[in-house]
Amino acid sequence: MREPSDRDLVRRARRGDREAAAALFRRYWRDAWRAAYAITGRRSLADDVAADGFERAFAALGRFDERRPFGPWLHRIVANRALDVLRAERRLSDEELPERPDVSPVHALGDRSLLSAVAGLSLERRVVVVLRYGVGMTPKQIAGALDLPVGTVNSRLARGLEQLRESVEVEHVE
Amino acid sequence: MSSELERRLGGMLAEAPEPERGAGEEALRRALRALHPSASPHRGLRTAVLVFAAAVVLLAIAAGSLAAAGALHVSFGAKAKHRPPATTELTLPDRANGIAAIVDGRLSVVVKGGFRLQGQEATAVALSPHALYIAAGIGRSLVAMAPDGRRAWSHPAGGKVVAASWAPDGLEISYVVRHGRRLELHLIYGNGRKDTTIDRSVRAVRPSWRADSLAFAYVAAGGKAIVYDVGHTSRRVVASRAAGDVRHVAFAPGGKLLALATSTAVGIVRPGLNELADRGRIGGIGWTGRWLAVVHEGSHPVVLLTASPQLGKLRPGGTIDVLGAEGHGIALAVSTSDATRVLAAASGDKLRTVMRLPPHTSVRDLQLG
Repeated sequence: MREPSDRDLVRRARRGDREAAAALFRRYWRDAWRAAYAITGRRSLADDVAADGFERAFAALGRFDERRPFGPWLHRIVANRALDVLRAERRLSDEELPERPDVSPVHALGDRSLLSAVAGLSLERRVVVVLRYGVGMTPKQIAGALDLPVGTVNSRLARGLEQLRESVEVEHVE
Repeated sequence: MSSELERRLGGMLAEAPEPERGAGEEALRRALRALHPSASPHRGLRTAVLVFAAAVVLLAIAAGSLAAAGALHVSFGAKAKHRPPATTELTLPDRANGIAAIVDGRLSVVVKGGFRLQGQEATAVALSPHALYIAAGIGRSLVAMAPDGRRAWSHPAGGKVVAASWAPDGLEISYVVRHGRRLELHLIYGNGRKDTTIDRSVRAVRPSWRADSLAFAYVAAGGKAIVYDVGHTSRRVVASRAAGDVRHVAFAPGGKLLALATSTAVGIVRPGLNELADRGRIGGIGWTGRWLAVVHEGSHPVVLLTASPQLGKLRPGGTIDVLGAEGHGIALAVSTSDATRVLAAASGDKLRTVMRLPPHTSVRDLQLG
């Protein structure tokens, strides 16, 4: 039998159909969690952030424009929640924050993986890179979410990519 | 190089580790609790027209037959702004979403938007959060009505529903139903599905939901207050000096404070505090914001308490028969020699008369939404 579309599931969920809502959850939980993990860099935070994101998304389902795709909308909520949490921890500021997340010890692929390279970025660069390439937000959307000028987002993206490129090239040399 | 890197970055989330299963289960439970049933704004016009037409026809048939018997008055549409406040019809207080009561065994409801239902025989009524839905015990069923034509349902309860209470998140209703001489406590989803028996022997006391909608309090047949945890489907007897004679339970509209009342005392239960805060023949309790309102039988003022000191008194000018206070507003039924009046005030407003009735009229299940 054909899988119901996201739109069908959203329609049913907003009418209170828990099975449809659960199906939607199962379809997106892993990706949402991974996005939260990529931004926060910590399993425990990713659990909370992804759960909060779904909770907020389902609570706001009545206001969701069902003609738009559900996935990016959910990811934006998760990403914003991740940033809220990080801001609450006073880890996100205008200064470069050197803190490294716990990706390397946990991640089976080790420090050669691209994700580990991203995890090696400073938080402010990592956030914009994950939002841009992992979540698929445009620089303008990122600017809105982070309350930053678009130019700052673009410059952080460029510097982040530059740093990543160097890291990947070093891997090739090895 | 950059485009190749960007392409790889597009798939980087696939490299992230897997979430643990337990985290997903907990997250799913939380997410489902946040789900609010609502009408789709893009539902087809034809469906909307059909639903509306069906609702109108059903209401017209029901209203016609009851109106012919002089028992029911139904009207739609906003009333004129400056209608007199004191009437034999219930009037919606300023800034309230809805008000409901059982008056002489019949339903009296008015909600924002002008929907009014008056005269339908009913045994219990509960307003959903924001008064979007009305649940009522009608005949041997629990019936949910949706004022603006949204989906409504009827659930055969197998007996008369004597008390009902809607969870603050709107997802579930706890209700007490009479089966012969026994009273059972049930829990049902807000869409009328999945009815579950929680306790087969309880008292006819309105359950009270905790603000987070994860638990509610009720009174078991033996008179003990019990908190039922909806998430873990577990129950805990509230250790209290009032144990065995509880007549009313009321969770505060925020936080986890639970107030209990016996026939002669009121207590607020929280860690480190289990004092009986007020004494006398207790007629009812309810929370209005941070204040616990207490009505003494045959007494005039409503006593407002915080955790311990008495905060003040409301003097509505008569004997208070019924108190309805669950959120930030308050509603009272007050008797004098010449009338029974219903007074209500939304948060911070002054009490005003919203219904005037003949003396000795019975008013129950008074709620302000």
